[in-house]
Amino acid sequence: MSEFLQHLINMLVLGGTYALLGIGLTLIFGIMNVVNFTHGVLYTFGAYIMFIVVHQLGVNFFLALPLAVVAGWLLGAAIELILLRPLRGSDIDTTMLVMIGAWIAMQSGALWIWGGVAKSVTTPFPEAPLVLGPVSVSWLRLFVLAAAAMLIVVTYLLINRTKLGCAMRATFQDHDTASLMGVNVDMIYTSTFAIGSSLAAAAGALLGPVYVIFPQMGDLAAVKAFAIVILGGLGNITGAVIGGFILALAEELGAGYVSSGYRDAMGFLIIIAVLIFKPTGLFARSERVG
Amino acid sequence: MRTVVAILTVVAFASVPLWLRDPYLMNALITTGIFIIGAMSLNLLLGFTGQLSLGHIAFFGIGAYVSALTSLGFDAGLPFGFRIVHEPWPPIIGFVLAIVVAGLCGYLVGLLSFRVRGAYFVIVTISFAEVVRLVALNWVELTQGPLALTNIPSITIGMPGLGDLTLRTKLQNYYLVLAVAVIAYVLISRLVHSHFGRAMRGLMENETLAVSVGIDVTKTLTLAAVISAGIAGAAGSLYAHYIRIIDPEVFAFINTVTMVIMVITGGKGSLAGPVVGGMIFGLLPVFLRPVMAPEAQWIAYGGVLIVILFVLPRGIVPSLAQRFAKRRSRVEAVAPVAFVKRDAKEHA
Amino acid sequence: MTWTFRLAPAIALAAALLGGTADAQTIKIGVNEPLTGAFAASGTYVVNGAKIAADEINAKGGILGKKIELVIEDNKSNPTEAAAVAEKLITSDKVPVLMGAWGSSLTLAVMPKLMEYEVPMVVETSSSGKITTTGNPYVFRISPPSAIEAAAFKGIVDKLELKKVDFLIINNDWGRGTAEDFSKMMKEKGITVGVVETMDQGAQDMSAQLSKLKGTDSETIIVTTAVDQLTLIFKQAAALGLKKRIITTGGSQNPDQIIAQAGAAANGTMHLTTFLPWFPDKTPNPEATNYFIAEWKKRGFDFAGCTESFRGYDGIRTVAAAIEKAGKAEPAAIKAAMWDINIKGLNGDIVFRKSGPAGKESGQSQPNVYLIEITDGKIGMKTL
Repeated sequence: MSEFLQHLINMLVLGGTYALLGIGLTLIFGIMNVVNFTHGVLYTFGAYIMFIVVHQLGVNFFLALPLAVVAGWLLGAAIELILLRPLRGSDIDTTMLVMIGAWIAMQSGALWIWGGVAKSVTTPFPEAPLVLGPVSVSWLRLFVLAAAAMLIVVTYLLINRTKLGCAMRATFQDHDTASLMGVNVDMIYTSTFAIGSSLAAAAGALLGPVYVIFPQMGDLAAVKAFAIVILGGLGNITGAVIGGFILALAEELGAGYVSSGYRDAMGFLIIIAVLIFKPTGLFARSERVG
Repeated sequence: MRTVVAILTVVAFASVPLWLRDPYLMNALITTGIFIIGAMSLNLLLGFTGQLSLGHIAFFGIGAYVSALTSLGFDAGLPFGFRIVHEPWPPIIGFVLAIVVAGLCGYLVGLLSFRVRGAYFVIVTISFAEVVRLVALNWVELTQGPLALTNIPSITIGMPGLGDLTLRTKLQNYYLVLAVAVIAYVLISRLVHSHFGRAMRGLMENETLAVSVGIDVTKTLTLAAVISAGIAGAAGSLYAHYIRIIDPEVFAFINTVTMVIMVITGGKGSLAGPVVGGMIFGLLPVFLRPVMAPEAQWIAYGGVLIVILFVLPRGIVPSLAQRFAKRRSRVEAVAPVAFVKRDAKEHA
Repeated sequence: MTWTFRLAPAIALAAALLGGTADAQTIKIGVNEPLTGAFAASGTYVVNGAKIAADEINAKGGILGKKIELVIEDNKSNPTEAAAVAEKLITSDKVPVLMGAWGSSLTLAVMPKLMEYEVPMVVETSSSGKITTTGNPYVFRISPPSAIEAAAFKGIVDKLELKKVDFLIINNDWGRGTAEDFSKMMKEKGITVGVVETMDQGAQDMSAQLSKLKGTDSETIIVTTAVDQLTLIFKQAAALGLKKRIITTGGSQNPDQIIAQAGAAANGTMHLTTFLPWFPDKTPNPEATNYFIAEWKKRGFDFAGCTESFRGYDGIRTVAAAIEKAGKAEPAAIKAAMWDINIKGLNGDIVFRKSGPAGKESGQSQPNVYLIEITDGKIGMKTL
């Protein structure tokens, strides 16, 4: 029983992480129809910014977090302006491949600059965990969960309560009509990509200190993010959050009670099952098929 | 005209071993050739039905494992106390079985995934490939998991009256790969120009219209998936018997990415596209190796990819063919209209 | 299609250039390591160690009156590339001997090429049993396969009073091999083996596996994986309140990196290792160890990398000794001479013994294995 409770606590902590990974990608995927392979690189980038700011510039841990978010925003905007804007109107395969090219080049750049040896960020949190009866959880991960929840709420409000968010939603529904109604679609695309990228960088900045930082760390994160987006439906923030927790639950229980070798298979099996029975994801809004 | 170019190309490829003696470059050509066969099969799905499979390596890897296990033999337990014990068979049977089993898997994935399109199809195929990789990694009794299958025999071909010929040397393997590539090319080419091919393209251009004129969507797409997977399985079999060791890393995502790069840069929906794209991206690392640092090679690889897509967004072969055609007769340039329409539709 | 025709002469030209730069005044040694991809960090360490050995040998006048030259190629952590790189080193660069290829699947992919061209290779890191048991007489391994490590550990288990152990292993040949060989040894010793949990290479969150291990009635966990995952495991085990004894195997732990990154969570952990850079005087060859560590620091590398890079250093010294003994830089002579060398490596005498099917045995050296313990952020030798 205590093992089961521990798995549930782990699920909660891991699920928050996954949700954070998923929301940035689901915005870009849903609104821009771009299969964004640089999402994992932005995650890595956020983690390295954290390392540099905390360890090489000596800035406070909590001040470093917003810096990483801003850096992610800038890099995202740059990628959109340089690589995606000139290809506006190209099909999804072409933009995806450009993103793959950027992913390969940027990941190798990270290897070149920082080397392959993993880095680690020291945090102000106590090493002794919080013990609650039979289960325990580290303070750092509780902080990450809280920060992730805050970022998710802020993003949700941004999309649903602001003028920019309204324009983004309009573009998601139908970008031609939105453009006719006076929405600057180019600006919306750049903003969307920048916001999605800053969320990826935020995820990296929060999780880098939890894990270790190395150039390929984003690959696994990106795969999970894709899984979460599909579970939740394109462009659906609430869906991505629930998708994140479902994936975390499946992995925890899969590893705990089935076989740790098939831990990562659980998420993919769920995706296949979901798409067989509900081809537009669990919580899809009106996503066009075809 | 087209046939003449094709025959000249085959002759040119066939003459390579006559003047190229360097085994390292021969090796690069053989592995590139194997991946080009995989890319051609991917092109059948991506270029002619418009469905982007990012899990194509699954069929390639399944072919590799089936062929290797057939020729090595295995003894694996099944649920409920059953066991399969298999004695080694000649590799050529493995090659055939690789095509059959990969084709069957293509059928299953086709059935499942043609319920979903676009981005969702992309993810279904990625998921399928990952699940297959994890099975290969964890079913140690059958696949030896991460311990790898080693000492896979080379392919042996029975020659009537001459006894068996075991293809060990680079030269023999080069011609084997070339032969399979030519057969795959001819097969795909005939398929695309048949009634079935028109049905596929009809579906891609305008599904509603295609359905209304009586094209069976599921059947058409499933058949394309089966043939595509079968060819990928053949390529995987060639890979296993040439490299002679396989482990679950064969399913690595970067291998799928390599094939997608070959198809899209060369020109999806163009028969020669994967060959041109494949030669460029198969041999690019070979040329980059001596001139720059390892990390820089990858940066250059990504950079070349982006530049090609910016300059020739529809792929090398279609873009060049179009420019060539334009120069010939500026008046008759009607073709691009169809493309503009399709792009607009896909983006909507 | 003109592309292909234009490419072809370029290939020939490139080949001619590569062949033309060969300098007969040096003896070439091929180095086939992962410098990009998943194993980039480790491969780079090994190469840096190899360079120290080459510079040391050249500073003393080289071998057979010639300088040695390392031809270093990146195998991209990819078996197909590892085989291609071996082909390039042997046929284009004409190296008479190789060192490589870090991971077991990379090494296994290279092995058919060794048979094809009859060129020997020193294997410096790979641990899969298959490398020396499948009948490839061109393979000479200086790293211990897990069976040797298990045999060395056998003498220690009584003093540790193990009763029941669980395993947490990386899901590759290394982890699987360790679980198999250590379980066999434990059973012979009457120790109960509990669950065997695996983690994917590159996985970052092992909380699920650790929660399961927390719930079993074993008192010890044997962990096999590389340093990054070890760091994460120690941190996550501490966060879960997992208070069992942890012993790691494999010798790729970089304990200094673990202490730096896992902090207090690393205290009380034990590690089976093959090299003792912290206690140069206790190594089999203190003089060489001191030289190597001093040189490593002088070049500005992380001290933590020593436990990986020494393999490259030993590997190149092994190759050089064989060339010297052979009297000429030719593959067949070097292969024959491998059987006669006896050098003092940083982790024990490098002497090859026969392993594998009769008539086509591979060479296997028997390095020393030590147990160290981390207490209060310091590394101590476990005296047993």
